[in-house]
Amino acid sequence: MNVAELPMILFTVIAQMCVGAFLVLGVVQTAGSLRFSAKAIDQVADPALLAIGPAMIFGLAVSMFHMHDVTHTFNVIRHVGSSWLSREILFGTGFAALGFLFAVVQLLKWGHPRLRQGLAVLTALVGLGLVYSMSMVYYSLVTVPAWHSWFVPLQFFATAIILGSLAIGTALVVTTLVHARQVARGLSAPDADSGRKVSLRERFTTHADPAVRDEVEALLAVSVRGIVITAFVAAAVLLVAIPLYLGGLTAVGGVALQSVEVYAGGLFVARLGLLALGAGLLAVFTYFIAAKPRENLGRLVVVLTTSFVLVFVAEVLGRALFYESMFRVGV
Amino acid sequence: MGVGFLEQDLRRRSFLKWSSAVAGSGALVGAALSFTGIPGVGSQKVAAAGDGMADADRTVWSACVVNCGSRCPIRLQIKDGTVARVLPDNTGDDTLFNRQIRACVRGRNMRQRIYSPDRIKAPLKRREGTERGDGQWDEISWDEAFDLFAEKLKYTIDTYGNEAIFKVYGSGVWNAHLGTSGGWGRLFNLLGGYLGYYSNYSYSQIGTITRFHYGNPDEQISNSFEDSIKHGRMLVLWGNNPQETRMSGGGLVFTSLEAAKTDGLKIVVVDPRHSDSVSLLADEWIAPRPGTDAALVAGLVHHLVSNNLHDQEFLDKYCIGFDEEHMPPGVPANASYRSYIEGKGPDGIEKTPEWASRITGVPTQVIKNFAFELAATKPVNIAQGWGPQRHANGENQARAIYLLSNVLGQVGIPGGGTGGREGYHWPLTQWFPDGENKVPVTISNFGWTDAIDRGPELTATKDGIRGADRLNVGIKFMLEYGGNMLASQHAENLKTREILRDQSKCEFICVVDNQFTGSAELADLVLPDTTTAERWDLAPSEYTGDMAYLIMCEKAIEPLYDSRPAYEMVTEISKRFGVQQEFTEGRDLEGWARYLHEEFNRKAVPGMPSFDEMKSVGVYRYVNPEGTTVALKSFRDDPAANPLATPSGKIEIFSAELYEMSQKWEFPGGDKGDRVTPLPEYVATWEGAEEAREPNAKYPIQLIGHHYKARTHSTYGNLTNLQEAHPQMVWLNHLDAADRGIADGDTVELFNDRGRVQIKAKVTPRIMPGVASLPQGAWMKVDAAGVDHGGSVNVLSRLHPAPVSKGNCQHTNLVQIKKV
Amino acid sequence: MYGFYFDQTLCNGCKACQIACKDKHDNPIGVNWRRVVEYTGGSWQVDGETARPNVFSYYTSMACNHCEDPICVTVCPTTAMTKREDGTVYVDQSKCVGCRYCEWACPYSAPQFNAQTGHMSKCDLCYDYRQTGQDPACVDACPARALDWGPIEELRAKYGDQNAFEPLPDPSITRPNLVIKPHRDAQPFGHGTGFIANRQEI
Ligand SMILES: Nc1nc2c(c(=O)[nH]1)N[C@H]1C(S)=C(S)[C@@H](COP(=O)(O)OP(=O)(O)OC[C@H]3O[C@@H](n4cnc5c(=O)[nH]c(N)nc54)[C@H](O)[C@@H]3O)O[C@H]1N2
Ligand SMILES: Nc1nc2c(c(=O)[nH]1)N[C@H]1C(S)=C(S)[C@@H](COP(=O)(O)OP(=O)(O)OC[C@H]3O[C@@H](n4cnc5c(=O)[nH]c(N)nc54)[C@H](O)[C@@H]3O)O[C@H]1N2
Ligand code: SF4
Ligand code: SF4
Ligand code: SF4
Ligand code: SF4
Ligand code: SF4
Ligand SMILES: [Mo]
Repeated sequence: MNVAELPMILFTVIAQMCVGAFLVLGVVQTAGSLRFSAKAIDQVADPALLAIGPAMIFGLAVSMFHMHDVTHTFNVIRHVGSSWLSREILFGTGFAALGFLFAVVQLLKWGHPRLRQGLAVLTALVGLGLVYSMSMVYYSLVTVPAWHSWFVPLQFFATAIILGSLAIGTALVVTTLVHARQVARGLSAPDADSGRKVSLRERFTTHADPAVRDEVEALLAVSVRGIVITAFVAAAVLLVAIPLYLGGLTAVGGVALQSVEVYAGGLFVARLGLLALGAGLLAVFTYFIAAKPRENLGRLVVVLTTSFVLVFVAEVLGRALFYESMFRVGV
Repeated sequence: MGVGFLEQDLRRRSFLKWSSAVAGSGALVGAALSFTGIPGVGSQKVAAAGDGMADADRTVWSACVVNCGSRCPIRLQIKDGTVARVLPDNTGDDTLFNRQIRACVRGRNMRQRIYSPDRIKAPLKRREGTERGDGQWDEISWDEAFDLFAEKLKYTIDTYGNEAIFKVYGSGVWNAHLGTSGGWGRLFNLLGGYLGYYSNYSYSQIGTITRFHYGNPDEQISNSFEDSIKHGRMLVLWGNNPQETRMSGGGLVFTSLEAAKTDGLKIVVVDPRHSDSVSLLADEWIAPRPGTDAALVAGLVHHLVSNNLHDQEFLDKYCIGFDEEHMPPGVPANASYRSYIEGKGPDGIEKTPEWASRITGVPTQVIKNFAFELAATKPVNIAQGWGPQRHANGENQARAIYLLSNVLGQVGIPGGGTGGREGYHWPLTQWFPDGENKVPVTISNFGWTDAIDRGPELTATKDGIRGADRLNVGIKFMLEYGGNMLASQHAENLKTREILRDQSKCEFICVVDNQFTGSAELADLVLPDTTTAERWDLAPSEYTGDMAYLIMCEKAIEPLYDSRPAYEMVTEISKRFGVQQEFTEGRDLEGWARYLHEEFNRKAVPGMPSFDEMKSVGVYRYVNPEGTTVALKSFRDDPAANPLATPSGKIEIFSAELYEMSQKWEFPGGDKGDRVTPLPEYVATWEGAEEAREPNAKYPIQLIGHHYKARTHSTYGNLTNLQEAHPQMVWLNHLDAADRGIADGDTVELFNDRGRVQIKAKVTPRIMPGVASLPQGAWMKVDAAGVDHGGSVNVLSRLHPAPVSKGNCQHTNLVQIKKV
Repeated sequence: MYGFYFDQTLCNGCKACQIACKDKHDNPIGVNWRRVVEYTGGSWQVDGETARPNVFSYYTSMACNHCEDPICVTVCPTTAMTKREDGTVYVDQSKCVGCRYCEWACPYSAPQFNAQTGHMSKCDLCYDYRQTGQDPACVDACPARALDWGPIEELRAKYGDQNAFEPLPDPSITRPNLVIKPHRDAQPFGHGTGFIANRQEI
């Protein structure tokens, strides 16, 4: 594996995952608000939101390793008019900042929900911009046939969706499990309606109110099923796209053939296998057991976490191959 | 146009007039003007005042003075007492006879060499109680060093006599007026002399055998490239690689490219390797197996003769030994060359192109076509390099190539040539006078390890001892000055090392260098010399064709660390023998440079500026007043009046002297190919092409070691910039590589009974199948198991001399190669 | 617009140009503003005892081509990679973050990362020498006289306008200010049968 590119591998995968997670979470919240109470949604979604921020910061920090003179860092946005790298960095910091802001206002329930929703939409749009500009950083290198391909944006968005959804799915079930344990230990949460100030810590625990609990369960079933279907579909698209992409590269010839060769080894097989396993088999399994989240909660946690980890590894491998396939025309 | 016109016309004119006359045809402007003291006049690109870096304190002329056969001026820019930049020649232009003498890749890296971490910083004495090569050193004062040297020298003379003193070959400061000698020989001579050597590593075989063929005690030059450009129709570079071995932009890189640009001058290169000369110059490339050139020539001559395309008239008039009608008296019948190729000689084999093709690997049709071409495209200058002769029985290889030009009748005519190395103008190297050596005995350049190992056993007819029937004593005191023979450039490095480690044999070894080389590691005393930049000298051109020059080398910086110019070392040592006055004649180094220049150079070359003028002129060019070099012209014009120095006065294709030697000389080892032949016939040798292809051969790859761009031998070989630019790799044909599962860039092991080398492979079609080349001169890096990781070809070469010259055969090696 | 002229029929791959550049700019190991590529191809026809070659090889010495469409400039996020008014492209050391993106982009490997400074570096066509009326160091170094430089229109008028030869990239990508006189065996771009034979040196 290309260790020198490890920072870039982690940065791109994690950033895309964060954007994807944010989007998925948005969908869960927006779509959920049509059927479920805010209480239930907040209970399920807020803790997950909190995970995105650090992940994004981690990704950005890691990407800094790629700059060899950090004292000049601020110069990197000077060339937004032309450089996709500038744009990526701009979108990246924008997404991180907005995401952070949104997380804060959402968790503390500051401002009008509309405003928060507006902020969420904006963050999501910037996130999309981030994934797009990220892909364009590579796509715009006309001198690297393996990168100058429709496949790059597709892959980056697919990564965002697959990893984002599985990350959120995992977060949802884990949160619910944690809550369930707390309830079991008798740590029932205070009633939010009693007017007592609810501490932040308490927000992570949840309602003992059976109505809310049922709501949460239903919400969980719908979201988790939606999530695994999304991941499944995105992974399927990716698995179909890969051979098309490699076929295209072969047709290009020249150094592109060297790039194709990179995809011949065991790592590539592993990547495909892990993806198929994580977003395929396990997803299908998840889909079925997610019908009864309460009964299957433990299993859901195990299966979804496994699925997430497998796919994360698959995407990291995929990204490593992606960097490995960097063969430039010329001398 | 005949050359006669040009020559006679020119001879009548004074040098100056002549220069400007030729300048009219676009040649000599700079040479004529450069002694006006204005560097750059005549240059197309006039040098600006602030040449190079803007804030240099001063810019002085210096030179790269290594044994690459060229020698280049460089301008050193000095800032705060250090060399800050290396600039190229800025005089002259791009015309044939006034060319700018642009330093090659190595000279341009001079700064790294001056400031290399390998510089020896102080005199070093091998630590008491350790063995040679153990690597334990004590820094000592100069006085201690001089005392030690003087004491050992005196002891040796008193105990063994002067014949036991030897100054081993070393060419690192080759040909500079002062640096070449360093003064060591002069000191030894003042003390009664020392054992000398004849010949040299460059052209031991051809330099020895030529006397029998052309009467010349050295090699016989051919016509110059300039002459081929002006008059030739074909130029054959036979084992000759000007693009890699004559890399100066003022020398043959330039003139051979001019030849390639010349319409109507076809260039053929004969080389088992697709050298850079092949890739740039050749209209046709012929690739024989190494060491089979004499067979190729026999096949060519057979085809010429059977089609009556040889120059019978020339052979009759100027040569003996070609056919039975022209033989010296007293030799058996059917001993002529013609009998040899017609199968009437003792071996009874007809040397048809088919026969030659089996030995050389060159397809029959290619041989036939080449023969026709040679005959049809005259005049042809066959210019051989020294690759073919650096082989077992390289003598015959070299002579065979001479012979081909004889058969074609090309000797002494414009556009033709002798078959020797391309001609050059080299009237002056006013070497520091070493005085007279009263020891008459000499060994061959290659014979010193033998002389150390088994000195008194060496005889004239067995080992080529000259000046006596045998050696009286082995070498006991050895000086290596400006050479890396002990560890790198000789042969069979691991065995050589063992011979040298035995302190009962050679009792004292002193190495004088400016880099801590592998040879220094084997010394008892290491003395730190300066580089050329740190002392005064004058450097003449060498094999640069018809344009010669002299370069001023000013002392640019103070000696680094505790180094000193050799001359100052010898001065101090001479004091200890009470011969200081005789040694110095009252001059310091600059004084000698001035003296030699004023007294000799200026008299030898009309128009040469004074010593002081030279400091600003930098480099002074002058051209062959005879016009372009046509070798042996006077012999061709009037052989009776100007006979050759052979017994017959003619070209001796059959040499009666060699015939006599063939009866007398002894070869007790009985190695295949160790024989003297009166004809330049093909001799299959030990570790030759035929042995390589024997079924189940243990060592099936012929390994040569071409002279490489990265280095001049081992000099410059330790510098990272050059290692980066030209990494050490073994050239291996892709077919041989495929057989062994080797890919480009893989580390491979080359091995034979003498050693093992591990190095990266350059897998390429640019070398013949069955042949590999490990560029010679890389610094050894031997691990605990005795495996060299530096890529030194002499770990694999053999300590066995060629039959007549007793010289080095380093291109004859068989190895096996495997992937590591 | 300045550019280079390079004569493949004269270049022997000696790399005096590379070393001269290195000496002038004090560039460390690994940083070569001028590099020389060996392009080799062909094979041997072995027939019993004999072997007949059909082999070619030629060198191309490359620096920065100060391109019309410098992809290095386009992609650089900091604007450190800049075109001067005279058309030459250089790295503004006060801006570069060392992201090495330009290095990925340039098909001539002209941008060379200097680990000692943490910045990108590259041929500036010897700006200071030109300012004082001197030729670039590499041009004056070449023992074979294979290099020339000047206003690209003048070079094209003098030497023609060819530059599409293997192993160089498609010139339409960056439109290099480069004129090449092809070696007799030079292979037109897109029709190469050889290979870059000294990868590790470039
Ligand atoms: N296998 C194989 N071996 C060969 C050859 C071959 O073709 N194949 N070629 C042979 C030939 S032709 C030759 S000429 C020899 C050359 O062999 P050498 O003459 O030994 O040449 P170098 O290895 O260059 O060693 C020159 C030494 O001089 C030192 N030197 C340089 N400048 C100075 C100075 O100013 N003062 C002092 N004191 N030292 C200085 C250098 O640092 C270097 O160590 O090698 C021979 N060896
Ligand atoms: N760059 C560089 N230049 C140098 C030197 C150096 O070390 N480096 N050394 C200098 C010195 S001192 C000398 S003596 C000269 C040496 O000059 P040469 O002796 O001419 O050089 P080599 O590289 O030994 O051989 C020349 C060519 O002969 C080929 N060859 C080898 N064996 C045979 C053979 O049997 N037949 C034929 N036809 N060709 C053969 C080799 O492939 C090579 O291309 O070079 C000088 N120039
Ligand atoms: S090595 Fe020879 S050609 Fe190169 S600079 Fe030195 S003298 Fe000139
Ligand atoms: S050669 Fe490369 S670095 Fe130079 S201008 Fe063109 S694209 Fe930029
Ligand atoms: S390394 Fe420097 S010059 Fe190159 S793209 Fe990055 S910031 Fe620009
Ligand atoms: S022009 Fe100057 S900076 Fe550019 S490659 Fe040549 S020497 Fe180096
Ligand atoms: S200096 Fe000239 S001949 Fe040597 S590699 Fe550079 S361009 Fe080619
Ligand atoms: Mo030599």
